[in-house]
This record gives sequence, C-alpha cells and structure tokens, in this order.
Amino acid sequence: MSQMNTLLEVSGVSVSFDGFRAINNLSFQIGPSELRAVIGPNGAGKTTFMDIVTGKTRPDEGRVLWGEKSISLLALNEAQIAQAGVGRKFQKPTVFEEQSVRENLMMARRAPRSWWAVLTFRASAQDRTRVEELAQEVGLQEHLDRVAGELSHGQKQWLEIGMLLAQEPRLLLVDEPAAGMTPQEREHTTDLLVEAAKTRAVVVVEHDMEFVRRLNCKVTVLHEGSVLAEGGLDHVTANPDVIDVYLGR
Amino acid sequence: MRKSFVAQNPSVLVFLICLSLFTVVVTVLAEGFGVGALSTSFIKTLGKTLCLCLVAIAMDLIWGYCGILSLGHFAFFGLGGYMVGMWLMYARTEIIVEGALAQGDIPPTPQEIIDGIGNQIFGVVGSSDFPVVWTFADSLMSQLLLVLVVPGLLALVFGWLAFRSRVTGVYLSILTQAMTLALALYLFQNDSGLRGNNGLSGLQNLPGVTAPQSAVSLWFFWASALALGAGYILSAWVVSGKFGSVIRGIRDNEARVRFLGYPVESFKLMLFTLTAMIAAVAGALYYPQAGIINPAEIAPIASIYLAVWVAIGGRGRLYGAVLGAAFVSLVSTWFTGGQAPDINLGFYTVQWVDWWQVILGLSFVLVTLFAPKGIGGLFDLLKREDKA
Repeated sequence: MSQMNTLLEVSGVSVSFDGFRAINNLSFQIGPSELRAVIGPNGAGKTTFMDIVTGKTRPDEGRVLWGEKSISLLALNEAQIAQAGVGRKFQKPTVFEEQSVRENLMMARRAPRSWWAVLTFRASAQDRTRVEELAQEVGLQEHLDRVAGELSHGQKQWLEIGMLLAQEPRLLLVDEPAAGMTPQEREHTTDLLVEAAKTRAVVVVEHDMEFVRRLNCKVTVLHEGSVLAEGGLDHVTANPDVIDVYLGR
Repeated sequence: MRKSFVAQNPSVLVFLICLSLFTVVVTVLAEGFGVGALSTSFIKTLGKTLCLCLVAIAMDLIWGYCGILSLGHFAFFGLGGYMVGMWLMYARTEIIVEGALAQGDIPPTPQEIIDGIGNQIFGVVGSSDFPVVWTFADSLMSQLLLVLVVPGLLALVFGWLAFRSRVTGVYLSILTQAMTLALALYLFQNDSGLRGNNGLSGLQNLPGVTAPQSAVSLWFFWASALALGAGYILSAWVVSGKFGSVIRGIRDNEARVRFLGYPVESFKLMLFTLTAMIAAVAGALYYPQAGIINPAEIAPIASIYLAVWVAIGGRGRLYGAVLGAAFVSLVSTWFTGGQAPDINLGFYTVQWVDWWQVILGLSFVLVTLFAPKGIGGLFDLLKREDKA
C-alpha cells in the first residue's frame, strides 16, 4: 500500500520464551527518515522487539518486511540484516575496548564485509577523512588514537553512535542511549540522534520521559508485548491506558 | 602519507633481524659448516624448535587474536609431517629396492620394484599393497602440495561444521580435542595405511642425497628459519590491518561484530584453515629433522602443550608465541633429555624427567593467574620505563 513511505514494517509478530509471551501480535511501521521513541515499562518487550528486527531472535509468527522491495528480514542472519542497513546500539556501550577509536570507526565504516575484501582492504584517503569527520561529529576528534577502553562512559556511548553512523544504516535502533549520562552529555546525544534522523529512520528505546520529550517525536508505547498507544508524547501521556500502566503501578 | 607495513610494525623488523643473526651464529658454530661447537643433534633440536615456534604463531593467531582456543592444531602439524614423510619413505625405499634388485641377472620389471617397495614399507603391518593414500607418494611435488591440501581440507570441513553451528568457547576446545584424538586413534590402526603405531621412520635420510647429516641438518635448520620468518611476516600482515581489527573484535565481542555486518563464521573458518596450513608446513619441516613420526605425536596432550607455550609466551602478540615455544620446548628438552642432574634429597630423589611436568603445569597455572600477558608482557614493562 504505502511502500514508498515505509522502511520497516513489522506485522502480527509474536514470540514466546518458555511459555512467556514476550511479544504478542506486535505491529509497527516506520518511514525512511523518521525519529521514533519507543517507551514502555520493564518487560514490555522493547529489547525483544530489537532482537527480532536485527535477527538475534526468531519470532514464532508474523512478518518483518524491509525496504522498497519488501524483503523479509526473517530469512536473513544478523550479519546480512546489518549489511541490508539496520544498525543497532546496545544498552550497555559495546565498543571494542582494546582497539583505538580510529580502529573502531574504521571497522564500522561501510565497506565490503567479506573476509577477502577485509583482508585486502587498504584505507583510502576518503576513508580516513570520513573517520575523522565522524569523530568530529560525536566529539571524539581529540581521542582518535586512544584505546576505546580508556574513554568515559559517555564517550563510549558516542563512539558507539559514531560507529553506527559509520555503518551508514537506513535504520538505527538505539537502546537507552541516555542511561548513565550527565545532563550535558544527554543534550549532545539528543542532538546527534535528531541530526541522524534527518537522513534515516531512528528508533530510540528509552525509559526516561524527559529525554523522550526532548527528542520531540512520535512515540510508540509498548505494553506486554504489543502496542498500547501511538502518537505525540502529550497525546499518549493523556491516554488513560498509558496512565494506568505507567502511573497505576 | 601512508606508512609502510614495516614502519607500522617495528617488531617485525626486530624479529627478522634477531632471527637472521641467530641463523648466522648457529651456522658458523655448527659442526657441518663452521667451528663445530654445536653438534649435529643440537642443530636438529634448534631446527625443530624453530618449527615449533612457527606452529605456536599459528596457535597465537587462532587463539590469541581470534579467541578460538583450538586444542587440535597439532593434528594439522602431524598431518603435514605425514604427508612429507610418505614421499621421503617411498623415494628412499625405492632407491634401496632398485639397488637390491639390480643385483639379479634379469633387470626387474616396474611391478617387481613397486612390490618390493610395498613389502619393505608395509611388511611391518603385515601387508605389501599400497593403500590409496599413497597414490601420490612417488611425487615430491604432489606430496608437498598435499602438506597444505590435506590439513587445510580437514580444517575447512571441521571448522565449517563447528562454526556454522555456532559452537564456541570450551565446547569448541573439547571438539578439537576429540578431532585430534580420533585422528590419532585412527592412525594407530595397522590398516589405516600409514603403518599404524610404527609410523613413518628414517625421515632424516633424504633420498639420493649423499651429504652427511651434519650438512643436511643445517639445510633443514635454514629452511625452518626461512619458514618461520615467512610465517611471521604473513601473520603480522594478517593481524595488522582491518582483518586484524575484525578478528580481535570477534575475540572480545563476537555478537557485536555480527551486528556490524561481518559474517563472523567465514572469518573464523578462514583463519582456522589458514592456521591449520601454517601448522602443517611447520610439521612438514619438523619431522624430517625428528626422523620419525607416529600417531602418538598427535595425541591430545600435544595440542594442549601448544596452548601452554603460547600462554606462557604471551598470547595476542606474535613474538610472545615464538618466545614461549622456544623457551618452554628448549627447557623441556633439557629436563627430559636427562641432562639435568637429579637431586638426591636423601629420603627422595627428584628426577627431573618426572618433575618437569609438574613444574610446567605449575608455571602454566601461575602465568594464567598472575601474568596473563606471559613472557611477552615483560616487553611492556620495558616500554613503559622508556616512556617514563
């Protein structure tokens, strides 16, 4: 129907772990350049949702369609999904701590991924410039040759966002980017995500309502594995069901 | 401007200089060439040690850099030895048999010669027919090719099955132990085609070569040094660029590498196969110096020793693997060779042949607990003092 303005379409997806329905008939759509916040209480299925889209978890039923050609992501493995253009940032910053910021970014940078291509890879001037630009963007230009393990928590988060941008994904899945950050760091992170969403789809999973308010975007509320409400933040927070789930506890 | 490979990896140059100096000094001191201060058997020990350093580099690539604790790489080492051993044994026996048959009145037919060789080689396991695996044994080039092909194929098939099923960590280690054990047990059988527990022997004698062992031992020593140097450069190149980044990434966080879009399994498979082939080359040079290969060589414990060398030397750096293998295997030779004097405590005599194993085991535990960087970690201390 609306293939032009849908990048990812998840429909009727369910998955159970040992009888527990983590995702229950979930449907979700996002356009090619859209910022979306996904909120919901613990156990609402936010992380499982990301696991399904990135190929880590196989759903029991449902469809996950991607791109103009509506290819099924369920037929691809994690690496193929990432190559198709889905980037993921984990809750805990996961950068390669024993390698330099430069190496981390270069590894993430979009380029052929086969072992042969990687073995014979030689960084072009363009590659190196792009890595430096990315470092600039996430505020790590001073730290390019430092080992990632020495960075502060916030810097690691940015490095990971920089790595995601380096992948040039069409969809960015970001899990709790603001966790453990100082107010200034949060502001920087918000800017990065808003900027990124101008050219691609960004889905931010977040607990923190204040952070979500600052993103100023459409919000999807998950509860018990399905969508409870969707719309602007003020709209969904006025929804009695959402109030029940969030404030009734 | 892009820095050259050597400029980026100064340790490669340092290593090559040390290796060349060592080779020259040993050559000058050797019995077969220079002063004669080093006996032929000691030259062989040194040559073998260089081969062990090479297989330790392979182990370091797969374990230290990629985090795959393979406890089966000595199987590939041994297979490499078998492949080259088959030609050595065949060609030398052929010369002997031809010589013996030429004594007769009528010149022997080709079939008689082949039967004679078969009798000589397989008489010990009660057979005289050539098994299929000896099809190419008469051709040196084919057997040298098989040194790479056979272990490479085994690693490819084994790795494909294991990595595709995402077997990792200790389960993979157990699986590789099972592989080398299965191979050893198979080769122990008399009808395996490789002379059962007798193995292949007389490998130190090069067919058609009349030069004395003192010279031959030096040739192999040089060849081993050359192979070690080449293997070191190759490995340093493999781990230096983006490929090195990716495999270290796989070691530290495999799932993350997958989400970056890298097909982790094919990287592991490629590296597993490459290191198997490096190990095989090392084995092919080692066993002609050892003179004999039998299935006991690829018993599971051998591959575990390999991991111990790399751990003691310092994994995740190539010179660490070389130092560990050289140090531990030379000390081991000294202790188990009977040179170390037994210590009589009156109530108990410490026999080093037995106690060496205990010391080795203890030092492995101590290194793992207190010095995870191994001997190579000492170089970090030096570097830090330079900076200070």
